[in-house]
Amino acid sequence: MLTTVRLEAAVTAPMLDLDAVDLSDRTFWGAPPEQRHAVYDQLRRERPFAFFAEPVIPYIEPGPGYHAVTRYADVEAISCQPMLFSSGAGAVSIADMPPDLNEFYGSLISMDDPRHGKIRRIVAKAFTPRVLEKLVGNVQAVADDVVTRARRAAEDGDGTIDVVADLAAPIPLRVICDMMGIPDGDRALVLRQSNVILSGGDPELVVDEEQMVTAFLKAGEELAGLMARLAAERHAHPADDLTTALVTTEVDGERLTHQEIASFFILLLVAGNETTRNAISQGVLALAEHPAERERWAADPGLTRTAVEEIVRWTSPITWMRRTATQDVELSGQSFPAGSKFLLFYGAANRDPAVFADPHRFDLSRDPNPHVGFGSRGPHFCLGAHLARREIGVAFRAFADQLPDLEVIGPPARLESSFVNGLKRLPARLTGVR
Amino acid sequence: MTRVVVDREVCMSAGVCEVEAPEVFELDTAGRLQVGEPTDLTAVETAVRACPTGALSLVED
Repeated sequence: MLTTVRLEAAVTAPMLDLDAVDLSDRTFWGAPPEQRHAVYDQLRRERPFAFFAEPVIPYIEPGPGYHAVTRYADVEAISCQPMLFSSGAGAVSIADMPPDLNEFYGSLISMDDPRHGKIRRIVAKAFTPRVLEKLVGNVQAVADDVVTRARRAAEDGDGTIDVVADLAAPIPLRVICDMMGIPDGDRALVLRQSNVILSGGDPELVVDEEQMVTAFLKAGEELAGLMARLAAERHAHPADDLTTALVTTEVDGERLTHQEIASFFILLLVAGNETTRNAISQGVLALAEHPAERERWAADPGLTRTAVEEIVRWTSPITWMRRTATQDVELSGQSFPAGSKFLLFYGAANRDPAVFADPHRFDLSRDPNPHVGFGSRGPHFCLGAHLARREIGVAFRAFADQLPDLEVIGPPARLESSFVNGLKRLPARLTGVR
Repeated sequence: MTRVVVDREVCMSAGVCEVEAPEVFELDTAGRLQVGEPTDLTAVETAVRACPTGALSLVED
């Protein structure tokens, strides 16, 4: 099979010229993942803190450059020492953004304790596994409905569907919008604007690179406008949703400010949509490339717990988060001055042979699987991890039961973004239709 | 005797411990973690290991 050949190529690839590799080049991330994994493997072995110049963004002053962290142990060491490795200077962009922009778009992600902890504990309550248990029925209903509509679309058309638009995108979008109480009429706007914010400047989504910053700002403004409207409504008429909890909860006698609510709202919409979407779409692709694993899971629903973890490890939907040294630091015996920037490459850590046996093997029963697809141990561990696991598990069971005839028929269109590991499209057909 | 210690600065109320050892851990309505007697030690050890922020530890008195 074509797939097998490509995978082996990643494992036994000839030595690359690392000096010719530029992780700041957007097109590097649009290439098939085998290429990045070959680069990760070699960086991990030879240059575990490889230094790169920062990408050029119009109107933003380029910074001093960053270290690409590719070993699992180093990713973990940085994540669990937030006093030494700060998120507050910006965790979701390589360049230092103006502080107000950084906080608005990064919200909790680009914030340090104690403020991070205060806000995180307010919202954490809505995301605990125990609370999310109550949502299972809803996620199941959403997945069933999405799958039914996808089949109908294939039947009404030529039998083809787009895995991204017809399956992967609508499930998390509807779940997070339900949780937050977003009216149906506003959901298309949410999808469109969160795509722009996480586009990484992909030319298809942000047509003019000169307009990139403006496009981000406009997208944020529109989402903030929607939030302001919704927050005012919930103040007047509380409902049983997350938005109501956000506008009414107090911690130590303090409520979230409007600004904090707006930026958190954007974080939830964006982070709650794109990441799960990309795990689902690339999970479908991985199963198409590993038909024996797909069959195994279809036949054994008991595999779901470990299968979901393997999909997250395999796809690593967020490519990196950034940390900045608050003082002179040492990592694995190497010294770095205060102010050094580190990008934690989760997809690289997730294929580190020091932790994962046969790391380039897609194994749905892998256990233990201490992947860092949701981030490594520390205060910024993904707030939505349980929700995402639930969504992915329910979605793939629904696909196995109701779309056994799903067949991927073409290569995916990859998002050209270093930050989000995503697919824009994945063509497929339902062979049972015609 | 074995005791569970919660680092309040580190705990982010993720609630993983509630699932692993529901008889010992509970987040109250303010999102603050309440810890009872560690009855089922195996479950408590699992919870300590599973904590995504590393806020829990076991100490012997």
